[in-house]
Amino acid sequence: MYSRLAPRVRLYGLRHLRDEQSAADLTQQVLLMTIERLRGGKIREPERLASFVLGMSRMVVLDLKRGSRRRARALEQFADDLPRVGLADGPRLDTERLTACLERLGERERSVLVLTFHSERTAFEVAQELGLTAANVRVIRHRALARLRLCMTGEEPAS
Amino acid sequence: MSASACAEPLDLSVLIDHWLGDLAPDEDERAEEHLLGCAACSKRMGDLVALTGGVRSLANLGVVRAVVTGAFLERLIDEGLRVREYRLAPGGSVECTVTPSDDLVAARLAADLRGVPHVDLVKCDAEGREKNRLKDIPLSASAQEVVFLERIDHIRALPACVQRVRLVAPDAGGDRLLAEYTFVHTRSSHD
Repeated sequence: MYSRLAPRVRLYGLRHLRDEQSAADLTQQVLLMTIERLRGGKIREPERLASFVLGMSRMVVLDLKRGSRRRARALEQFADDLPRVGLADGPRLDTERLTACLERLGERERSVLVLTFHSERTAFEVAQELGLTAANVRVIRHRALARLRLCMTGEEPAS
Repeated sequence: MSASACAEPLDLSVLIDHWLGDLAPDEDERAEEHLLGCAACSKRMGDLVALTGGVRSLANLGVVRAVVTGAFLERLIDEGLRVREYRLAPGGSVECTVTPSDDLVAARLAADLRGVPHVDLVKCDAEGREKNRLKDIPLSASAQEVVFLERIDHIRALPACVQRVRLVAPDAGGDRLLAEYTFVHTRSSHD
């Protein structure tokens, strides 16, 4: 269960907290609570597990954003059972290939990707900077990422 | 929990919009629930997030060539990156270099580009021979300036040389020159 759920909770944390360490804390905390509930027989229907994890994730994100820490008791009880979520648990990237793949994009595509993902800006914010419409930025962004993914998987050559 | 295959996979555009907070609240919530319950889509999302993080890392290392904006440069500087900027007026010339302490190098090319639908940035040698062309560059909202980040690893590898950069409006009859700028590059004494 841990290996299945941990990457998903980590992503949830990254999206809401924008920080690897906080996402790792969230993952640890949510999965500890989930184990507690499972062992206590409080989650009887397996199909409800995702809903439970989502609910816990939302609650813990709010807690983390408030700066509170409420995991001491669960950590004391179950911490030894859990592998620690690392800071670099995401997929590994071939940065040389990514550099080459970025070079292959059109100028507008590369600009939109850099402006968007450097500071995680919405289509509206990037559109304002570049004098485009938000809809146009979304189209360019989608096309650029689709090309980049193809290039990274080797379906489109990098050079 | 679903198995590795997904009967109704989230579209790439939904994953991107979800990550950036560009979805409507109800759609965003549906995507969030789906991702926590679906291994396949969660894996695709993880790959996408890694890719976006890679773009950010490479931009911070100065190894992404891109036309950006003045506001973007200010954000880089606010984050503590050392950006070497060269500002040129049309027809201007500058002596330039890059030192080991620079993180990024930017050229800020002033030009009145209002009303010009498409602009190419053309890099030429000292004699004006075209070496490289960036087609249809994005123009900032004010269209008074082109802000260009050059790859710092490429600049570090350059010998002392003169390079000309032209902004041109391409049309059926060829290029209409909008402005030209001259960069007189020397290697840093620290190299």
